[in-house]
Amino acid sequence: MPGISPPIYLDHAATTPVRPEVAAAMSASLAEDFGNPSSGHAWGRRARGRLEAARASVAASLGVTPDRVLFTRGGTESDNLAVLGRIRHDLEAGVVPHVVTSAVEHPAVLEAAERARREGGRHTVIGFRAGAFDLDALEGTLRDDRPGLVSCMWVNNETGLVLPIAEIGLLCRRHGVPLHSDAVQAVGKIPFEWAEAPADLLTLTGHKIYGPKGTGALIARDFGTLRPLHFGGGQERGLRPGTEDVAGAAGLAEAVRLAVAEAPAESARLGALRDAVETGLLARIPGARVNAGSLPRAPHILSLGLPGADSDTLLAALDASGIAASGGSACASGSSAPSGTLAALYPGDGAAALRLSFGRLNRSRDAAPVVLAVAEAVDRTLSLVSP
Amino acid sequence: MRILVAMSGGVDSSVAAAMLVEAGHDVVGATMKTFCYSGEAAESRKTCCGLEGIRDARLVADRLGIAHYVFDVEDEFTRDVIDDFVSEYGRGRTPNPCVRCNSNTKFRDLLKRGRVLGCDGVASGHYARLERNNGEPMLLRGRDRSKDQSYFLWGLPADLLGLLHFPLGELTKPEVRSRARQLGLETADKPESQEICFVPTGNYRDLLAKKLLPTHPALSPGAIVDTRGRIVGRHNGYSGYTVGQRRGIGGGRAERYHVLEIRPATREVVVGPRELLEVGGVVVGELNWLTAPPEPGRNLQVQIRYRSPALACTVAALNRDGIELRFDEPARAVTPGQSSVLFDGDRVVGGGRIDRVTNTGY
Repeated sequence: MPGISPPIYLDHAATTPVRPEVAAAMSASLAEDFGNPSSGHAWGRRARGRLEAARASVAASLGVTPDRVLFTRGGTESDNLAVLGRIRHDLEAGVVPHVVTSAVEHPAVLEAAERARREGGRHTVIGFRAGAFDLDALEGTLRDDRPGLVSCMWVNNETGLVLPIAEIGLLCRRHGVPLHSDAVQAVGKIPFEWAEAPADLLTLTGHKIYGPKGTGALIARDFGTLRPLHFGGGQERGLRPGTEDVAGAAGLAEAVRLAVAEAPAESARLGALRDAVETGLLARIPGARVNAGSLPRAPHILSLGLPGADSDTLLAALDASGIAASGGSACASGSSAPSGTLAALYPGDGAAALRLSFGRLNRSRDAAPVVLAVAEAVDRTLSLVSP
Repeated sequence: MRILVAMSGGVDSSVAAAMLVEAGHDVVGATMKTFCYSGEAAESRKTCCGLEGIRDARLVADRLGIAHYVFDVEDEFTRDVIDDFVSEYGRGRTPNPCVRCNSNTKFRDLLKRGRVLGCDGVASGHYARLERNNGEPMLLRGRDRSKDQSYFLWGLPADLLGLLHFPLGELTKPEVRSRARQLGLETADKPESQEICFVPTGNYRDLLAKKLLPTHPALSPGAIVDTRGRIVGRHNGYSGYTVGQRRGIGGGRAERYHVLEIRPATREVVVGPRELLEVGGVVVGELNWLTAPPEPGRNLQVQIRYRSPALACTVAALNRDGIELRFDEPARAVTPGQSSVLFDGDRVVGGGRIDRVTNTGY
């Protein structure tokens, strides 16, 4: 079967390649700072220096003070710590835990929030009404129930949908409820002032922004309302004990610095590419729909709803023709699982989802071959639908 | 040639894939997600992602350096295999779900997807052989008689035969395991799968209880009767019984009694002594032919269960709905719903599902 050569990677929302600047920062750290940052001797001081420089760099990139930056081992861990850490805090304080989330959260938030229910507390899910995030329902539960935490992602990983985080933040502040936001798909994609971020807790991860896998951070205005999930050391305020990954922190810091610095230009570039592919595919595929198309979207994700198509087969056909894409989101088995996000946005709709996510590996000249290959693969999979 | 190989994660399909790669084919691996192991909606997504078979198949494909895809065929599998399984037990019959899967899901549905990927054929790790006789594809028994799985393949659409590949057909199971070890495949020493894949608890009545109304006759109490209609016991649903089975009769007479027949209309389970299990003939329906249909009077061999030898028989009558066979020697425990597969020597002629027995001794 003729394929695109060289292949085109359109799965930047799943993960991204480590960029050379990041690799260089990490290599330097790996070569020079093997010491344990907790040690009092010269080797320890040197590693600690690199770790704290990384923290200061992340803080500077985001416009916060370094004491707000807690290094974790990834986005899932940051999400878990924000949500479960709060649930544990409330349980210790004798308060019935109550976590409010949007319906489109990553499982790292949703499944953590479900723990509140298992601990005898509550998990309230806010959905969409008339095609928009249901701010009225959120305000209702904030006013009536005084939850311990609201967790609402900034940019949805499956559709690129940008949640109305400013409004959500305002409501949370008005009712005195802390807001956590998983911002892993927002960093470097939407330009905004981090110091003004309306969230009290933010999740970052390295590998979505050309940094190393297994690195992340939780940015917090106040760590006092969290309890640890790991035990055995005082590192990272005791909230993430364990000998620090100094090279990972250095890589994350460099990735965040570059992502934030380049966000305005890169998001404009990706938005133009995304628009070209979107326009081309809508013209070529009758019945195709842009998921969350009527809502604000981040520039790097295009999620198509394809009625009558088979998502698994389409992705396999695209892979065979040299295009890396994904369905709703990458499931550990590789098979499409029902997407909570799409179910919330399009209840009762069985359209297959195709997610193309753009990034540094893509150029504007990719648009034409991508449109051709995707349209052709969709044609072929539509023909196999059995009666 | 570009071939899609069905990979379950087990040792057989792993070696089949490896052999096709060695033979120089452009091989693509595929695992079908046929159903959700957990009925709990909240947990099912997680469970499905963790399915051991999918993980193992992916590891093997990575080792072989081939692409591997997971196809969700749950809707088709539920319709063609699980629903049929439930409906057959509901009618007092004993189905072969693996036959239904091979006849529908594993080859037809997979080939459809394979074609989208530019594949010319589909392969599996079945112990069966395909040979060509003047260009005409013939399905033959696997060389390893103790593993031969041709019995499960009678329902293959005849027009697909030419597109299939069974790389293990000439091998024995020990040879397959030793190849798997040589290749360093993760699955080399994995135990055989015995259970019906969609009944992980091993108790199919759990599934029936979930799928059928509690008032369904197959789940309702009824009488156990002897061949003269005398009640000799009670049962809690005829779906728990299979013709030929010797248990669950109770009353201390278990030794002497075998299930002879299930009568769904009256919910009766008929029992009798072992010698009454012997029948002289069988009517087989839902036929599928992999050669020209046999003429009445033809002498063939028929296999009436997976683990039993082929029996010499004569075609007594044939029409569109069914074929009537006479056994040369009386056959034992001929079970409605089970596959009857006709062989001419090693070659699969065709098959169907046992509808009823003839020439019973009572």
